[in-house]
Amino acid sequence: MRRLHSLLASVGCAFLVITGHPGIAGEGDPAATFRDQVEPILARRCLGCHSHAAGQMEGNLALDWKSGWATGGDRGPAIIPGSPDESLLIRAVRHGDADLKMPDDKLPEAEIAILEAWVRDGAVDPRVAEPAAAPASGDWWSLRPLVSPPMPGGSGPAPQNPVDAFLDERLATEGLVAMPETDRRSFIRRVSIDLHGLPPTPEELAAFVADTAPDAHERLVDRLLASPRFGERMARHWFDAIHFADSHGFEHDVFRPNAWPYRDWVIKAFNDDLPWPTFVRAQLAADVFFPADPASFPALGYLGAGTYDHSAAATAPKSFENLDRDDMVTQVMSSLASTTANCARCHAHKFDPVSQEDYYSLQAVFAGIGKGEVDWDPDPLAAAARKRWQQVASQALAAPETLLDDRENVAIVAAWESASQARAVWTTPPLATFTSAFGTELERLDDGSILSGGTAPEKEVITVTLRGPHPPITALRLDLLTDDSLPVKGPGRAHNGNLHLSEFDARVFPASGEPATVTIARASADFNQESWTIQHALDGNPATAWGIHPEEGKPHTAVFVLAAPVALGPDDTLAISLRQIHGGAHVIGRFRLSATSGDPDAAIALPAAAEEALAIPAATRTRAQQASIAAAILTPLAQAELTKLPPPGKLYAAATTAVNERGTIVFPAPREIHVLRRGDLDKPQALVGPGALSAIAGLPSRFEFPPGTPESARRAALADWFVDERNPLTWRSIANRIWQWHFGRGLCDTPGDFGRMGGLPSHPELLDWLAAEIRRTGSLKAIHRLICTSLAYRRDSVCPPELLHADPDNRLLARMSPHRLDAESFHDGVLLASGRLDDTRGGPAVAHFSQRPGAQLTPILDYDAFDWDSPGATRRSIYRVVWRGIPDPLFDALDFPDLGLLAPTRGFSASPLQALVLANNRFVLHHARHLARRAEAAAPDPAADPLPAKIGRMVQWTWQRVPTSEETAELVELAKHHGLEAVARALFNADEFLFVD
Amino acid sequence: MSLLLPSRRDLLAAAGGGFGSVALAHLLAGEGRGGEGGPPVDPSWPLGGLHHPAKVRRVIQLFMNGGASPMDSFDFKPALEKHHGEALGPKEKPEGFTGPAGNVLKSPFPFARHGETGRWVSSMFPCQAERVDRMAFLMAMKTTTNVHGPASYMMNTGFMLPGFPCLGAWVSYGLGRIVDDLPEFVVLPDPRGLPYNQKGNFSAGFLPARHQGTVVDLGRPEPIPDIFASDAFPFARGDADRDTLAAIGRLNRRHAAARPLDTQLEARIASGELAARMQLSAPATFDLAGETAATIAAYGLEQKETADFGKRCLMARRLVERGTRFVQVWSGPQGAVDNWDNHGSISRELPPMAKSVDQPIGALLDDLRDRGLLSDTLVIWTTEFGRTPFAQGGDGRDHNGGTFVTWLAGAGVKAGATHGESDELGYQTATGTTTVHDLQATILHLLGIDHTRLTFRTAGVDRRLTDVHGHVVREVLA
Repeated sequence: MRRLHSLLASVGCAFLVITGHPGIAGEGDPAATFRDQVEPILARRCLGCHSHAAGQMEGNLALDWKSGWATGGDRGPAIIPGSPDESLLIRAVRHGDADLKMPDDKLPEAEIAILEAWVRDGAVDPRVAEPAAAPASGDWWSLRPLVSPPMPGGSGPAPQNPVDAFLDERLATEGLVAMPETDRRSFIRRVSIDLHGLPPTPEELAAFVADTAPDAHERLVDRLLASPRFGERMARHWFDAIHFADSHGFEHDVFRPNAWPYRDWVIKAFNDDLPWPTFVRAQLAADVFFPADPASFPALGYLGAGTYDHSAAATAPKSFENLDRDDMVTQVMSSLASTTANCARCHAHKFDPVSQEDYYSLQAVFAGIGKGEVDWDPDPLAAAARKRWQQVASQALAAPETLLDDRENVAIVAAWESASQARAVWTTPPLATFTSAFGTELERLDDGSILSGGTAPEKEVITVTLRGPHPPITALRLDLLTDDSLPVKGPGRAHNGNLHLSEFDARVFPASGEPATVTIARASADFNQESWTIQHALDGNPATAWGIHPEEGKPHTAVFVLAAPVALGPDDTLAISLRQIHGGAHVIGRFRLSATSGDPDAAIALPAAAEEALAIPAATRTRAQQASIAAAILTPLAQAELTKLPPPGKLYAAATTAVNERGTIVFPAPREIHVLRRGDLDKPQALVGPGALSAIAGLPSRFEFPPGTPESARRAALADWFVDERNPLTWRSIANRIWQWHFGRGLCDTPGDFGRMGGLPSHPELLDWLAAEIRRTGSLKAIHRLICTSLAYRRDSVCPPELLHADPDNRLLARMSPHRLDAESFHDGVLLASGRLDDTRGGPAVAHFSQRPGAQLTPILDYDAFDWDSPGATRRSIYRVVWRGIPDPLFDALDFPDLGLLAPTRGFSASPLQALVLANNRFVLHHARHLARRAEAAAPDPAADPLPAKIGRMVQWTWQRVPTSEETAELVELAKHHGLEAVARALFNADEFLFVD
Repeated sequence: MSLLLPSRRDLLAAAGGGFGSVALAHLLAGEGRGGEGGPPVDPSWPLGGLHHPAKVRRVIQLFMNGGASPMDSFDFKPALEKHHGEALGPKEKPEGFTGPAGNVLKSPFPFARHGETGRWVSSMFPCQAERVDRMAFLMAMKTTTNVHGPASYMMNTGFMLPGFPCLGAWVSYGLGRIVDDLPEFVVLPDPRGLPYNQKGNFSAGFLPARHQGTVVDLGRPEPIPDIFASDAFPFARGDADRDTLAAIGRLNRRHAAARPLDTQLEARIASGELAARMQLSAPATFDLAGETAATIAAYGLEQKETADFGKRCLMARRLVERGTRFVQVWSGPQGAVDNWDNHGSISRELPPMAKSVDQPIGALLDDLRDRGLLSDTLVIWTTEFGRTPFAQGGDGRDHNGGTFVTWLAGAGVKAGATHGESDELGYQTATGTTTVHDLQATILHLLGIDHTRLTFRTAGVDRRLTDVHGHVVREVLA
């Protein structure tokens, strides 16, 4: 029992008491004075940075024993007994010297006075033995290498299930007798709620009770594990551990409409029993490990699970990024390795072997990404096409010769060249009209071009018209021409000769009938300003445009191929508008419009280099010349192909390029990460590269990459570090969580912290055995099955007082711990019982509130105004919107956690306010009404249906059992006075519904 | 489904303690940490306390949301007049400023000395000015950020991040309830909207959910959420409600009888009984019919400008009078208007805010005194940060965590005291800096709690309201 007691001391909400009461010192005993008055001050104010126990001695000064301060640190002895004014320690705490102020927060004067008096009186210090070195060594249960322990044997028939083998051995050692198996009804209710978050239907219950086969329990568990409801249940456990929600939190608690693809991925991963290493790798770096599998991409939502401080990101970016990386490091290390690495942000971890350098190396892993929405293609074909054409477009821009390495590219270019021997023939038809919307004076020159004059307006829209008849037009061509009257000869009117063509559009006005917009299939230009390409003149976005900087002072050409030829009858008109609404007088100086009726493939605006190259016979062209042709041909093709693709899906994640309320957030390169002294951004120390914990034997902790390696390699390296067979934390962490998800408490009861501040495992060998199994097979479902088919899991939850006294916390599992439904199981159970559960799976989250705009970005949510009969309202709670800062009162009352932080465990509350919410929340009452209606409607002959029968059905649906005669009498009485709806309300509020045996 | 309770139950059991009423009291948080592993509370301490005798048993916190300007209210800065229009601000935009610093901006309001203490107060706060001798001023408050969200979290929870318990939740956790039939921690937000961070400011964080603030909306017929069913559900109202809750109690007792020794079930049964008592007593708390016309007038309920904040101040008095331990009253929602975030124009935006709170605050202080409640009630006036002495957008001011003002009044407070000074312009603290953690430590101290010893272990750390910081500011204590 001694072991048990020490175990108990380390569990639960410990209440550490720091001793020390200044002012109760024994008179006249200097050692006692030291103990009572001085040591508590040193402990509280100094030893965090100057002691063996803290694992750090800043400035090489230790204040945890006499020799420490007598020898002193880098600045010499810290204390000169008898001379406070000469003692560095006293000067430091007085904050009188600009360069010697310790600690950062100045001590209260009373404490300074105590230290001064102690030094003045001779600095008596009874601490003469050198303290032990930091306890934060790697010799700790969770860090020891993971070796699968032998299964306990023992006398008597050995249990078949390893879970029982380990548990029973311990029970025998402690001399405890396990409770017998629970009844069938209690078991199926327990295991159904556990694996699905829903109780069994009456039919499922009856079938199981009647199943006399010896493997009835195993088949039941297998059936539950195979259902998609299993993943819906397990996903929420995981989301608690990683603080995943659908809004930012903080001041601007903005909705994330595209967080859900990650939710669906996690549900599917659990249902598919995705091997744990794959699960880990996909979440950290699906882009690296599974680039060809777009279905894996939403796993990256893991990186964006946490909070986002939009306001700080905008106005205090340095501290924002530091804290945002901290959020990611905290989440990743706690959820995957049960390690509180974030404790090392300001100082070496006080209890565990995590140095500040380790911590900042972890920050460096995430130093190249930011939270926001990223694009992804759910369709693999679209994903492949987008990837190919995006690559072509970027190659054409950055390294055109590499285009020739691809056979398909070469073939396309060759085919184009052979098919378009005859270059397009352009004619410049006379314009019927040409008008300016913003007052430019337009003049027609002899060559058919139009010259702008007068004061250059800020913005301009020039519309020209062409009157039929005209043969079918396959493409239009816009020449921008230079003129001596323009700034640096133009062709634009901006001070540097540039211009911005925001949009190019064409419409046909037939002699009779409605005008029609002419669809442009693709466009090309002889030159595109970086990020201001001709495609921007077709994207319908007035904020983007085609520009020509820095190639001003030269003529330029753009060609627009029409989706279908446009023929003009005698009185038909073609109107073309050149919108230049970017501002800053980026308007056109001189232009000419031409048309062709020839082969549209030949209609293309080629850069000068490509034009020159084409004049050279193919066989004698240099590679660079051929590449210039390829780039010219493939660029508009790539743009046209990309436009044809369906719009990409969106995912809230974290990436080098992500879109959020602030726009597109780009990390061109990972930020440089320094160790920060005391976590202070203004005190940067050594530069660190990406890495992880150094305390794991045999596992390299720093990730080395050649320069220029993309940031994704850092995340991939961390994923590999986690799933390395030598990393014991990863396997122990998930094995413990699975245990927790079934028994309500992990074998180690601090699932997010396996360090010295966490709990000790009650059954370390069992934990290691399970962890080693996951490492061996990767399968989580195998562990779920093992646990749920064990005899331990079948035990009765009612227990005699002796057992309660012997093992009050039930760590030894001689019985099952009863527990209250969590918020989700309550919610979903109410829906199932009232016949309202909508089993639709996946897709965007369902809001359980009405919403109107707030004063700023955060809307005002009203959970009371929600219509529970609206479509999708009664889907399972895993599909609801979880708004971090504005929680659902029902879920809140039932201990749904605040997801501002990780929530590795759920609490249990019982309060009058909770009782009131359960009794009066609209969701409960609305569905009480539905439950009553369902009971009324279920009888074959309602007229002949007696009240007790109806009530019996309602009890069966909610409590999964037949009511006792006493209960029936109670409920019939209630129904007689207040109707079946009151009965339904009572059933939902009964502990029989709320608790699981 | 983590079970926090059994560990406590089991500590009792392991210590040979019995079950039933003793354990139950803890489960229901009727008592706080004092009975659960902390040092025993001395029953001779008249006002309770966890680590030492408390001076304060109940708290009303008035929170000016948005960053109330110190140099236009209580921190008189003649140098602003002298340097008005000069470019003395930082050249580079500091973190958290919404724009570059403008030129020095004098206060548009005249200041005068008040009371025997001669405190300088601007013309915006005439009623508070009359009562300065009853207040203690922290004139050099400092916070760690210039951004609303993190700063509001800091002032409420001691951390700049979401997920941590707020002061009211810590107090509930530490001391428990005074009475059973009212919530122990009530929040009265501005009816125009929630503050920055929404309900994150009232969260119990990682503490058990029962410690979170109960948000009371006086605009509703039943201000305590879900205390009664909506009248859309007649089967849950009136007699039906009473009979159904009684039936639930009987069903639950039968259920528990078959599961002896399960304290979770006992806790549920007891909470149901307390809920019924709350239904009986709470409506009277929110019914102002018993208040005299003089009181109604004093709080400003008859004028449009002061009616709302006045009503909430009056309600705060009624709540603490009946035994609610901690009441937080918010002035101003988040957003660009109707709060203390006066970027655009101090002369235009601050006066209506000041007007809305000043008379009610004066009335609250008088009322608490006249009823003898100030002997064990603390009143706190604060905000999340101050504002720059430099202009923004004409005569507005930007965020500034460098220095701001908080005042305390009531039990345990040295009336008329002042601590700290800001620098010449009121840009940073100069002497006697009080950090947010210092303020929190001081409030806990008055409640009989040592801020370094009120802890809760989560994710490997024994968390405190004051993180690893905080000193009690004894200079303002009686």
